[in-house]
Amino acid sequence: MLWISQVTFLEAVRQRFFAFLLVLSAAMVLSSVSLRVFDFGHGELKFIADFGFGGMFFFGSVLAVVMTAQLFFSEIDNKTALTLLAKPLSRPEFLLGKFFGAWAVLGVFVLVLAGLQGVVLWAREQELVVMAEQAGKIPPTFSIVGLGQLVLLQWLRLGVVIAIVLAISALARTFLFTVVVGSLAVVAGQLQWIAQDAFLRPTDSPVYAAFLWISTRLIPNLQQFNLADALVLGSSVVEEGALISVGFSGLAYLVAYLTLGSLIFRRREI
Amino acid sequence: MSSAISVRHLTKDFRIGLRGLKLRAVDDFSLEIPCGQVYGLLGPNGCGKSTTLKVILGLVSATAGEISILGEPSATSVARRRTGFLPEAPYFHKFLTGRELVRYCAQLSGVADTELGAAVEDALGLAAMNEAADRPIGTYSKGMLQRIGFAQAVVHDPELVILDEPTAGVDPVGSASIGRMIQAMRAKGKTVVLCSHLLGQVEQICDRVAIMDRGKLVLEGAVEDVLSRRDRHVMTIEAMTPTARAAAEAALEAHGAKITSVTHPRRSLEDLFRELVTGSRDA
Repeated sequence: MLWISQVTFLEAVRQRFFAFLLVLSAAMVLSSVSLRVFDFGHGELKFIADFGFGGMFFFGSVLAVVMTAQLFFSEIDNKTALTLLAKPLSRPEFLLGKFFGAWAVLGVFVLVLAGLQGVVLWAREQELVVMAEQAGKIPPTFSIVGLGQLVLLQWLRLGVVIAIVLAISALARTFLFTVVVGSLAVVAGQLQWIAQDAFLRPTDSPVYAAFLWISTRLIPNLQQFNLADALVLGSSVVEEGALISVGFSGLAYLVAYLTLGSLIFRRREI
Repeated sequence: MSSAISVRHLTKDFRIGLRGLKLRAVDDFSLEIPCGQVYGLLGPNGCGKSTTLKVILGLVSATAGEISILGEPSATSVARRRTGFLPEAPYFHKFLTGRELVRYCAQLSGVADTELGAAVEDALGLAAMNEAADRPIGTYSKGMLQRIGFAQAVVHDPELVILDEPTAGVDPVGSASIGRMIQAMRAKGKTVVLCSHLLGQVEQICDRVAIMDRGKLVLEGAVEDVLSRRDRHVMTIEAMTPTARAAAEAALEAHGAKITSVTHPRRSLEDLFRELVTGSRDA
């Protein structure tokens, strides 16, 4: 499994698509400084954080869906999977190797962008502190520890997306189908909190209630990982218990979707 | 003699289309491949050879039937650890070098770290790929791809090697080189199963052959047995004159025998080609 992960990682980082999205996201983070005049009445640091983290969330999701599907289908379509699966290697090991390789690439993606974002926020914070002192105002702050926690949460969120895409890939016949369904799953995950809210309200229809119950359990709430404001800018307090709960929820979905993908892939004819 | 591969009543159906129409690729196919031999599995395109190999390797599930490799159920990792496989038209990660690919496959096949270096060098040597081993696979010719594919199939020193069309698209020199690799495997006591359309080569290097057609076994036996026509004889005569021929015919007729054809012996175009070009480059 380790060897599959290593080769998957090497294959992924050599892709122009990865380099393109990394450069684009990095450009978004850097450009947030010059675009901060459009802060729409919010604090400058919040605008910079929203802009940069928005790029990381969006392009990270695109990368997780497209790159994972591409890494899986390149093995199937090019028939390299024939050579590999004829070795004493189980199907779940192959799938897990793909997962860890793709997850490692997205770890690099998140780490590079978060590092860049941290430098941009820190530099602007230093300027704003001086200006606030001169004006006798309370200076804005951002938290390095919070940034670290956000990196872990985003990495976990992207891990959940990779696991979902691999489960879809194991079932699907084409790359395009996987990308479309995977993208819809990410959108559904971002909007899952709406179903959760609706589920909490009383309803007379058992069918509607069952639909809400299934959607709130089948689809992970990807919005719960979006704690950038609270963690990095300290806009609100995040209790440690809440962070652990989000972490466990993410890990549970990750394991569940990988298990599902492995079960489907075991029956697939190569 | 024990069996390297034992296939009993194998049937494989594929479901096609939305209505799930059944396409029978392999139909009640049984075969015993003895250990230590080079075995040719022949047949026209679409006759079920590759599907049979895939079922044997556990890449495709059987609809019915039992298969064992060296006494182990074929789908187990124990059986696959003892088997090497070169797929038809192999494609490998282009960014890896030949050496990296063979090393990667050795690691996947469970070769111990302490033996890894020697196993990789042995396999590269057997495939005559030492010189090109540090080049990216993307720069390889078709023949080199087949040879590096052969190296990855044998790097873990398997007892059974399955080669699906190892000479497809390869020139006669490269093809002869692959033939020599197969013979080297036989010399080491390995069992080699070979699917090929190069019937001349199969005839030269295989001990036994099986011929499939439309998913069924139509002929199986030792090459010598299935090709010999025991009621016909060939003599090669030097400096035959018309008088000598007439005398020979008369002598044979006196014993109830009859000459049915007299031709000049020919060498094959493959032999001629190899004779002309082998000297100019490494096979």
